[in-house]
Amino acid sequence: MRRVLAVLAAAACLLSIAVLAYRPAPAANVSEVLIGELLPLTGNFASLGQQYLWAGQTAEDIVNNDYPDLAVPLGPGKGFPGLGGAKMTLVVRDTQSRGDQARTIAEQLITVNKIHFLNGEGTSGNTSIVQPIAESYGIPMACHPCASPTLTEKGFKWFWRTGPHDKVMVASVFSFLKEWREHGGPTDLKTVAFLTCDNLFCQDNRKVATELAPQSGFQVVLDLTTKTGATTLASEVQRLQAANPDVLFLVQYPPETTVFQGDAKRAGWMPKVVATSNGAYSDQTWLEAQKKTNGGVGILGRDPTAIDLVHDRPSWKKVNEIYKKYSHGQNMGELAMREITGLLWMADTINRAKSVDPAAIAKAAAETNMSPSQLIIDYKGIRFDKNNQNELATGVVTQIGWDGEKHTIWPWELAKRANFKVIFPSPSWQERDSKPKPAS
Amino acid sequence: MPLLVQAIVNGLQMGFLYALVAVGLTIIWGLMEMINFAHGEFLMLGMFGAWWLSVTFGLDPLLSILPIGLLMYGLGVLIYRLLMRRVQRGDPFTQIFATVGLLFLLQNSAVAVFTSDYQYLSNTLLTRLSGSNLRILGINLGVPLLIGALLALVLFLALYLLIDRTEFGLALQATAEDREAAMLVGIRPQRMFAVAWGLGAALVAVAGCILANFFAVYPQVGFPFTVLAYAIVALGGFGSILGTLLAALVVGVVQSVTSVYLPPAFKDAFVFGSYILIGLLRPQGLFGRF
Repeated sequence: MRRVLAVLAAAACLLSIAVLAYRPAPAANVSEVLIGELLPLTGNFASLGQQYLWAGQTAEDIVNNDYPDLAVPLGPGKGFPGLGGAKMTLVVRDTQSRGDQARTIAEQLITVNKIHFLNGEGTSGNTSIVQPIAESYGIPMACHPCASPTLTEKGFKWFWRTGPHDKVMVASVFSFLKEWREHGGPTDLKTVAFLTCDNLFCQDNRKVATELAPQSGFQVVLDLTTKTGATTLASEVQRLQAANPDVLFLVQYPPETTVFQGDAKRAGWMPKVVATSNGAYSDQTWLEAQKKTNGGVGILGRDPTAIDLVHDRPSWKKVNEIYKKYSHGQNMGELAMREITGLLWMADTINRAKSVDPAAIAKAAAETNMSPSQLIIDYKGIRFDKNNQNELATGVVTQIGWDGEKHTIWPWELAKRANFKVIFPSPSWQERDSKPKPAS
Repeated sequence: MPLLVQAIVNGLQMGFLYALVAVGLTIIWGLMEMINFAHGEFLMLGMFGAWWLSVTFGLDPLLSILPIGLLMYGLGVLIYRLLMRRVQRGDPFTQIFATVGLLFLLQNSAVAVFTSDYQYLSNTLLTRLSGSNLRILGINLGVPLLIGALLALVLFLALYLLIDRTEFGLALQATAEDREAAMLVGIRPQRMFAVAWGLGAALVAVAGCILANFFAVYPQVGFPFTVLAYAIVALGGFGSILGTLLAALVVGVVQSVTSVYLPPAFKDAFVFGSYILIGLLRPQGLFGRF
């Protein structure tokens, strides 16, 4: 009996040591705040991971260095004033775009590196795999560019998202299409077809669109889900051509979007409207490539910010300059803007908590009430609902013009400021070929 | 009906390209009974090479076929001499791990050198022709893909003639048939193996030069093609060159036709389903030998 008690006592001691080991040090002893950056730096989503990394480095730079005129959280001053000037340190790990790897690394970041806030993984599918890990250890976690609505609908206590989710953003596209009729747009758009990839992100978009299309007065004439990594979409294009929808709702990543464009061009097919949602439309390299071919002209899609208007903001310009130090001169795209906004909110939250204790961070997060003037993005602010989803994150609709840039076309008050005439119908392939290309 | 015919024609065009991608795997297997898991990475290197020569020197990807083919031949030989020759004698698992290691080495090196950004070719002969179509009996043939497919077919046939009609090809076949007997007549198997690796790398890289005109170029681009290449080689019969061509055409058509009539998610399911079916009825593949 005594031996059993001794073993139990030893086990209790070990357990206490383990629990104490996870408890962050009190504020006075914190010299650096560790942010676990779980990113897909290699593998299928490496292109996204790279932008997130640059965004993380930008946020770290802003927090740790003094930018007196920069009107974003922790812009002026060095480090976290609430923690005696402690520095922000990113602990970056590559998930190889794999969920199993993300899960293992998240556990290492929490138990070995003892991070204070976990950020990532940048893709909804892999983030959903990591969420239970952060939840079980009681470590605050966020994924700002992840757009799957389900991430904040599972009742997780330790997960936050500052960016808009697909319900908000896809709703923007269909709101535009519905309201367009009353704002001088075409009145004969009646049918829609979906061409979406097969992962969580694409399927969430598809589900939301399936629900919203009939409510917006559209009949769904074809619904095609394709495999990520498709080497040809010629048959899918044939089916689309036969169904002849007025609007194509296209949610695909850059490689598959390129395959689709090639096959659609070979078939000589172009619907009246191509609407999209994230994927290729958010990828800076894809957007740049379209400038050489006019391939993206007329495509409209949702964005979390009016990218053409945001350039006028002084804070955006300064943050972009910092970002370019890390991105080899590439401008911030909207994904990077979402990520930087989210990371600066995390820093602000820790600063207000004056502690790296998870409970204090959670309390400060719940009390967040950030105004639009503190942001580099067009959200109406940051304030969380009961699911820890930013209820002030909004969506806008933009369209790629003949200059290869995105222009805001919805909401109408922003569209008025952008002063861009919506391109309709989508130009034919011949017209795209015959017109000058912005990058040639 | 026109929908079906168009789908078959589309599938055949892709099939010729798949054949050129897959044939390198067949050669290496046929000669050495070794599966190269880094095959897709040779394709990726070919695509990046074509992209780099195009953006740096303005060299058209179709013209870069020769330098890239030669360079990749050299790389294939080098990989054999430095790595595969040593692991060839070991356990099959050692060979598998060596090529898997090579896969990650090449893929991550590409990330380090070229970054993970998607790269696109524009202003090449085939991209300039994009949108031009031939219409024959109501069937639409995209000129760039048609040129790509015909080029792949010509290269494939040249390889077939090299292997089937030349002394060098007979030496390769003799080594595959009976290594010891080949040695008795003065053929050096190690040299043949090195040539097989060189040819395997060069052929798939040349396919990459053609494909770079149609696809985004990025470090992971080889994977979807490699998966198809395994199915093609297994379907056609490991080691059979003509079997590879036929199987590639079957895969292209199956992919294309199923997507016209069924949800596209079934596309690859049917490709691998037909492989399983052939595997059950004829485990050595359509043209393979046991």
